[in-house]
Amino acid sequence: MRTRFLLLVLASIAGISACGRKTSVAAIDPLRNAYDSEPDWNDPQRIIPLGYEQAQGKRIFGQQCVWCHADSTPAGPSNRSNVTPTPPLFNDGSVLNGESDEFLQNIITLGGSAMGKSAMMPPYGKTLRQEEIQSLIAYARAIAVPPYQPPTRPGAKYSGK
Amino acid sequence: MPAEEMGKVSRRLRLAFAICSVAFVIVLAISPVKDLRREWKRYKREYVRFAQTRPDTKKLLADFRPDIDQIWIPEMGVVDRCTTCHQGISQPSLAGPGVPQPFRAHPSIPHHVQEWGCVVCHRGQGPSTEVAEAHETTLAWEQPILPGKFVQGACGSCHRGDLPEGPQLERGRQLLAELNCSGCHRLQGIERPAMLGPDLTSIGTKVSREWIYKWLKEPRTLTDADGNVTVNGVENEEEPRMPKFALTEPELRSLSGYLSMQRARPLETVKFDPRVVAALSKKADLVEQGELRFRQMFCSTCHALAVTRAGETKLIGGDIGPELTKVGSKVKPDWLAAWLRNPQGYLPHSKMPRYGWSDEDLFEVTQYIQTKLTDPDLLSNVPQMGAPSDEETKLGKRLFLEKGCASCHVIEGIGSPKDFGPDLSALGAKNVSQLEFGISKIPRSLISYIQAKVVNPLSVNAAARMPQYHLTPSDLDAVTTALLSMTGTPASGAMEKLIVPQRRAEFHPAGEFGRLYERYKCYVCHQFNGVGGTLAPDLSFEGSRATRDWIIQFLENPQTLRPTLVLRMPQFNMTRQEAAVIADYFGTVLQHPEVNPTAVSRNEFTPQMAALGKELYEVKYQCQACHTIGSTGGYVGPSLNNAGNWLTPAWIEAWLRDPQALVPGTIEPRRPFTENEVKALTAYVLTLKQGSAPGKTGSSAAGARGE
Repeated sequence: MRTRFLLLVLASIAGISACGRKTSVAAIDPLRNAYDSEPDWNDPQRIIPLGYEQAQGKRIFGQQCVWCHADSTPAGPSNRSNVTPTPPLFNDGSVLNGESDEFLQNIITLGGSAMGKSAMMPPYGKTLRQEEIQSLIAYARAIAVPPYQPPTRPGAKYSGK
Repeated sequence: MPAEEMGKVSRRLRLAFAICSVAFVIVLAISPVKDLRREWKRYKREYVRFAQTRPDTKKLLADFRPDIDQIWIPEMGVVDRCTTCHQGISQPSLAGPGVPQPFRAHPSIPHHVQEWGCVVCHRGQGPSTEVAEAHETTLAWEQPILPGKFVQGACGSCHRGDLPEGPQLERGRQLLAELNCSGCHRLQGIERPAMLGPDLTSIGTKVSREWIYKWLKEPRTLTDADGNVTVNGVENEEEPRMPKFALTEPELRSLSGYLSMQRARPLETVKFDPRVVAALSKKADLVEQGELRFRQMFCSTCHALAVTRAGETKLIGGDIGPELTKVGSKVKPDWLAAWLRNPQGYLPHSKMPRYGWSDEDLFEVTQYIQTKLTDPDLLSNVPQMGAPSDEETKLGKRLFLEKGCASCHVIEGIGSPKDFGPDLSALGAKNVSQLEFGISKIPRSLISYIQAKVVNPLSVNAAARMPQYHLTPSDLDAVTTALLSMTGTPASGAMEKLIVPQRRAEFHPAGEFGRLYERYKCYVCHQFNGVGGTLAPDLSFEGSRATRDWIIQFLENPQTLRPTLVLRMPQFNMTRQEAAVIADYFGTVLQHPEVNPTAVSRNEFTPQMAALGKELYEVKYQCQACHTIGSTGGYVGPSLNNAGNWLTPAWIEAWLRDPQALVPGTIEPRRPFTENEVKALTAYVLTLKQGSAPGKTGSSAAGARGE
């Protein structure tokens, strides 16, 4: 009798301790965990999740760059058509994907004329902080169409240009 | 007891004792074994294994410790052991989605993880060392982890003022203020303004009982044939500030009857000169003239109208004042003229400026509004009700109080109730156990509670008095974020020191300028020392920027400096004397400490310098990308066509050296000009002048194409 009782106690202790909580990895909606989001410029149904840095890039883009690097602006029409040569759209992967992060950082910091491009692109090195310029690049990479693929080898990011 | 029986018992006892001992040892062993197998220890071991697969193993393992890591912030009462498992959190080489969790580095943010820990921003259980306990969002833990989408709510707990880095939080706070939530709820950082909804003291002089009935029934007015929600027949994404209350037919009749009897403040009826009326009434183009004046005065800066172009109807114009597409069928003609003449006579808190009207203009514009901005079908489905009975009026008054109308609207003799709705100033710190979920089947979490409550208050509490709001999904998330940020007064003095407070700005001009500032409501669109709207340029330093003559000319006849703007400074019909008072006030008070407008003389700039400046402008710096001169150039910055008359030389120089020093956040990039270049560009800009007096060109029909 008692033995059976003892065995029962033992078994239940073992059972309880074996009941380890399994960590449930719920399927997480990427947008639910994104700091901010942005609809794909070419396909507004597709929502792109943005992290903190990219979200800051989106904000600074909306203040400084949207006027010439987008087709619609907070004020209505875009200034893009007044600028020659026509500046690339900020999500134009066919142009920007070929440029390295270093090149983009330089052209934003130093302006177009310093990098052999149009002088209509002003330098922002004294207006924006380096982190802010990096966040702009992160944002451009996030919304790029076709999508941006980061270089695989460390050396690969130094493009030939 | 016989001896052999005693032996039997003792043998049995011995066996029991042996089993017990073994069991005891096993039980004793469970604890150390469990401790060996702790979840966090597994992650520690995995991290070491993971680090060995990386090229920078040595660096990754440099500060590895096999026991629990802890960040302690005594001021905030935070104990944070998240870094026990999240070991790569501040290793830059572990950034990016390629690195498995929990070892991935945190993306770069302004706060250092080692200093602030994780739970300050992400919430969750800091002291826990088990995955489920630390993160779980479904169980009723005191602080489940915030999904990334709402993490800005945590930012707002400390950053009580503006925080441009958290756009969703800012949007949410703006919505809470715009939707007048502070009418019924106490909110952290959002104070109750003087006027929430319109003052209804004399609503009976403005609109008919039938119109009130319709508005109460469906403040979003109606859905169109396709089922899209419309306001006055026009599709609108903005939520009207008046929410929808679920009212029954008798309630609608009584409340509309009661309100239509409110005529406490008599109407200041406008008596038009009969000769003017007679002369104008004969004109065939009376209404067209009225429309032209309406456009020339830039009513569209604050009021939108529905415009149909190429089969598509859109609202065009600002949203400071109400949308006016069908206002002619809404308000009574006498009221309209009295309102336009003196808005504050009807509504003391109105933001509408008091324009200087001639009888002709006023008559033409009222005729235009009553003829063109109408909809004969607006009240077609409303019963004709006539004057209300005494019973209806009595019931109406009771409903006005019970439904909480008095929280936002004023009626003479009825004060606004204190704390009509629950205090929400610490909602974000509430535990799930403190929330009433009632009959609803929503997940037990603060976020789902807030969202259900806003979307449909009755779903959580069948007796809720709260009206229904229709928010877009992103606005709903924004409002939720802002409410999550409201964590009440800080628990300790040390904690209070960490809070970044809201900046309080004040600007109270006195004297003659103060009177004009109130009359023309300058602060509705412009900012003065941090007070006022953001629609138009900040005028805090206007006295350093613009010349006196230019200010006077502009006020008399506002022309636009930015050709793309739909919304422009209205034509107030100011007198020259008023304009001079304003210009003198600007010149003496609204000065930038670093820019003395008289310090740089126009005479020091030579034509040679201007010629060099022109070349710099056009070739080296290509300023035409953003600025217009003549009719070519960009329209990001203001047109420089009249900059020589407009700007003071001292301002141009200071601006070229460092625009952000004068107007923080301005989009003109600061460029590395040499001092010679600054002088040359200033000389060139000073040569840009338009024919002396702009005359009436700005208010011509051509200038009125606002849209």
